[in-house]
Amino acid sequence: MRGLAPASATTVLERQRRVSSALWLAGIVGIMFVTLILLGRRHGFGLTDYLQFLVDGLQAGAIYALVALGFVAVHRVTGIINFAQGAFVMLGPMLTITFYGQPLPLPPAPRLALAAALAILMTAGIGAAVHRLALHPARNSSLLTRIIITVGVYLILQGAALLAWGPRPYVLPAFTTLEMGDRSFLLGDVLVRAQSLWIWGTAVATVALLAAFFEHTILGKAMRACASNRLAARLTGIQVDTMATLAFVLAAILGAVAGIVVGPVTRPTFSMGLEVGLKGFVAAIMGGLVSFQGAVLGGLILGILENFWAGVTLAGFKDLFAFVVLIVLLLIRPQGFGGAEEGEGT
Amino acid sequence: MSGRRFVALAVIILFLAVFLPRAAAAHTYKIGFIASVTGPGASLGVPERFVARMLQDRLTGQRGIVGPDKVRHAVEIVVFDDQSSADVAAGLARRLIEEEKVTVLVAGTLSGPSLAMVPIAGEARTPMISMASARAIIEDPATKRMRPWIFKPVPENLHSAQKQAEYLSAVGIRSVCHLYENTAYGQDTFASANAIYPKAGISIAYGDSFDRTGTEFPQVARVRASGCQAVVIGSIPPAASLINVAVRERAARVRIIHGHGACSPDLIATAGRAAEGTVMPCGKILVADQLPANDPVRAFDLRLISDYRVSTGGQPISTFSGHAYDALSWALAALRTLPDGLPLPAARQAVRDALETKIVNFVGTHGIFTLSPEDHLGFKPDDFAVVTVKGGKFVILPRNQWK
Repeated sequence: MRGLAPASATTVLERQRRVSSALWLAGIVGIMFVTLILLGRRHGFGLTDYLQFLVDGLQAGAIYALVALGFVAVHRVTGIINFAQGAFVMLGPMLTITFYGQPLPLPPAPRLALAAALAILMTAGIGAAVHRLALHPARNSSLLTRIIITVGVYLILQGAALLAWGPRPYVLPAFTTLEMGDRSFLLGDVLVRAQSLWIWGTAVATVALLAAFFEHTILGKAMRACASNRLAARLTGIQVDTMATLAFVLAAILGAVAGIVVGPVTRPTFSMGLEVGLKGFVAAIMGGLVSFQGAVLGGLILGILENFWAGVTLAGFKDLFAFVVLIVLLLIRPQGFGGAEEGEGT
Repeated sequence: MSGRRFVALAVIILFLAVFLPRAAAAHTYKIGFIASVTGPGASLGVPERFVARMLQDRLTGQRGIVGPDKVRHAVEIVVFDDQSSADVAAGLARRLIEEEKVTVLVAGTLSGPSLAMVPIAGEARTPMISMASARAIIEDPATKRMRPWIFKPVPENLHSAQKQAEYLSAVGIRSVCHLYENTAYGQDTFASANAIYPKAGISIAYGDSFDRTGTEFPQVARVRASGCQAVVIGSIPPAASLINVAVRERAARVRIIHGHGACSPDLIATAGRAAEGTVMPCGKILVADQLPANDPVRAFDLRLISDYRVSTGGQPISTFSGHAYDALSWALAALRTLPDGLPLPAARQAVRDALETKIVNFVGTHGIFTLSPEDHLGFKPDDFAVVTVKGGKFVILPRNQWK
């Protein structure tokens, strides 16, 4: 997938940059893996345990990847880091649960699918409203101002969720069994949850759809143009402000999908957006905030390494890992490990 | 009327207007109530707030309480939400003490926020009755003496650990894993387990914390690798449910033991089938209808349960409602001993002294309490009932069924 990369032939410099990026990433990830495996030896872990960490980490990683894509979409088109992304992730499952609980004359499976679809639609609408009502009026303010506005938006959405749903945790039924308990498979001695398959499938489908959108639709190409050079895009007649709203709609859809598909694994509650939003942000940073491939890769790597780390050291410090990664990354390679980068025009 | 006389009259009227109402207001006793109604502690705080509302309605209906000198005082329970945050709790405690001028604080659903409020209440010489369980709330860990201004009717993780150790020994388990949430409460459960289990011949093969909001639990791999015979979980729902589900997924036969923090219908609602067969020490109120007929706590609890159901429109009781009820009952009992006309600092001191000396054989939801200057808790491990989850309900597990 090329995302918002230019369609032109890559230059020698481009290729060199990509290779250097890949080498850096491979090197750092390799060192971390070796360290963690060495640390794990004192617990007597076998291959099965490491594979289990990998599988569980890929589940978390797929979620982080989806959330990260939302960050990248908004940032590329508007330059804003959307700290309200976590709220979209929370709204997806919470709205699904509410719609699913309505008395509709449908069997459970189509009812859940319809509830999810309605939830995604409504979250998309909320995403558009967020941009139109909170960010578009501030379009002449500084970037920093607009980023802080998104922090405010997150708090407003979380507060509204608290009023609407209360503080208690809810239950979203697993997609396979349509009840709280999920089915699981044993591959060798490694446990794979049915919901994990849903998560991976959704992530792959979403990434493919996103690629097709950017590559083959007018709207997608227009968004790429805005990301590439806003002034030039405006000069060719593209409504840049509409594209910005669309970017938020896209981010909202991505967030909601991520939240809905991970909902059965946790107990959705009004405050669930904060942590997953921050981790998705770290994953997006790994892609330099400009690369879709980088974001997906970053999400997967973060999920896997975080799980390994928690398994071989003190698991209570699992969250610490993501933020240590963030700081180290910003110190040694702030541009991330993205593929091609765009010059950001005005 | 001359200008000067007019001004003098105005000043006198203003003076009276400001000070007269204040004299009348001294008759209302204020209880400051802080619970974690939102945040991770909500499943504990919401039932506690229900109880505060129920008691406020009862007090308003009775038109307050009557002191020993037959003077009637209205009682106002000022309710705040600390959002499960220690910082917010500390700020609210200060506000209740300084601005609302409460006579007694009933505050702290969770151990973390309670510990944050302890020094504030102590410095302000205001009695505080906490609804959380950590020992350090009432006992200074450095001197091992009771904190003079702090009380709690809530059993501790030490008692919970003792009951757990009793059960584990009786069923022949010698090696356990201990998973606890990474909060003050969870760490306290782990410290208690480390203090109590070795004396009962039980070793902790693997102990680790987990994140309350996690979705993957790599700790489970360590549990399997350690070969422990049972997993003890020190957490509250929904976090306790998530780790319960994760352990059950991968280790279908290992026993799961919870602490008393899991004694809530929320555990079953959020863990579902994975909670079947788990065992935990719980306050008697959870299984009041299964207590033997000669237990004085039984009648008391059954009456409270029906009042609670009426007041909340059908909510099931939880042990945390019981803690709030006991804490508020203690506060009201102490306030009832106050003569009229005490200035606020003296009133607070009098409540403190009453709590230490006047709570004797006091029937509560969790047992029969007797407080003293050396014991601000009044609870014994045998006040716990050992409970299991069967068919989606909490069922008493009598000793002869421990196997």
